[in-house]
Amino acid sequence: MHEYSVAAELVNALLPQVAAVDGQIVGVILKKGEMRILSDHSLISAFEMVSEGTPLQGARLIIELVPVSVSCLTCGYQGAVEHVSDDAFHFSVPILTCPKCQSEVEMKTGRELYVDRLTVRTPMDTDGG
Amino acid sequence: MHNINVNGEDILKRQLELAEANRRLLSEQQVTAISIMGAIGSGKTSLIERMIDRLTSRGCHVGTIAADSAGDDDHQRFVSHGAVSINLNTQDDCHLDAHRVDHAMDHLPMELLDVLFIENVGNLICPADFPLGTAKEMVVISTTEGDDMVRKHPKIFAQTDILVLNKIDLADAVGVDPERILSDYARINPHGRIVCTDARHDKGIDELLDALGLQCTNTP
Repeated sequence: MHEYSVAAELVNALLPQVAAVDGQIVGVILKKGEMRILSDHSLISAFEMVSEGTPLQGARLIIELVPVSVSCLTCGYQGAVEHVSDDAFHFSVPILTCPKCQSEVEMKTGRELYVDRLTVRTPMDTDGG
Repeated sequence: MHNINVNGEDILKRQLELAEANRRLLSEQQVTAISIMGAIGSGKTSLIERMIDRLTSRGCHVGTIAADSAGDDDHQRFVSHGAVSINLNTQDDCHLDAHRVDHAMDHLPMELLDVLFIENVGNLICPADFPLGTAKEMVVISTTEGDDMVRKHPKIFAQTDILVLNKIDLADAVGVDPERILSDYARINPHGRIVCTDARHDKGIDELLDALGLQCTNTP
């Protein structure tokens, strides 16, 4: 349940940047690494609460997943990994091993958590412009 | 409507920086730190007690950070086994973070220690998102928790160095097949080490120390 503190950090980090935005922020697009253990549901509801009374109030938090990618320490492979998955039970875990030679790997992406972009509605948009 | 690109600094970047600072301090002080995670009752504290006994008898100086939401029970146990310990109450927080570990280390005589055990709060979800800067991370599960623990918490097991399956002596009594746990782990984390222990009867402790790379051979 660290989603609330994460949402608070997210809002605090964004507020100085949104002060200069001309228009209403309607969407906040967050990139979340596949290995992060953060509930989307809790993050979204925490964001709604934490952003209340700020220029971000009413904005929708949209979470986009960043898949794990690795670099193989043995054969030099760079790219995605295989998964152990069971869709029926919300179970999908990247296997941190080289899909080519099964050696140890270094994770390149999959642990990030950052705001990528904002969607903004300006008065011109409201007028259909 | 239009999109604005944001200078998106990682929201947990500060945590990673603090963990890196801990790693540097531990390296400078030549202290091998081990992070120990696992559910309440899995046997984390008992395993640490056994390891303290072994390492101290080899002349090793052991420190501990005993994290719990409240109380100092684990801390007192470590002290009674001869460790230099600090009690760390996270109050309502469900995990340790690098910042708290940094403060705890301020209260320990780091220059005198060889090994530092950091026992996290009993939780199998949140701690995985907060690196502490340790040399190794191990997760303890006990057979009494059932043979589906790895598949119920796959992400923490996918990214830790060592799985310790404790209370192995009770597997039959509770009708649990250890092989199921071990094969789940091997499938999710092909490079992870597995050690089976029975902390209560002091079994598997040398194998665990070996897996952790704690070959302390100081002269007492």
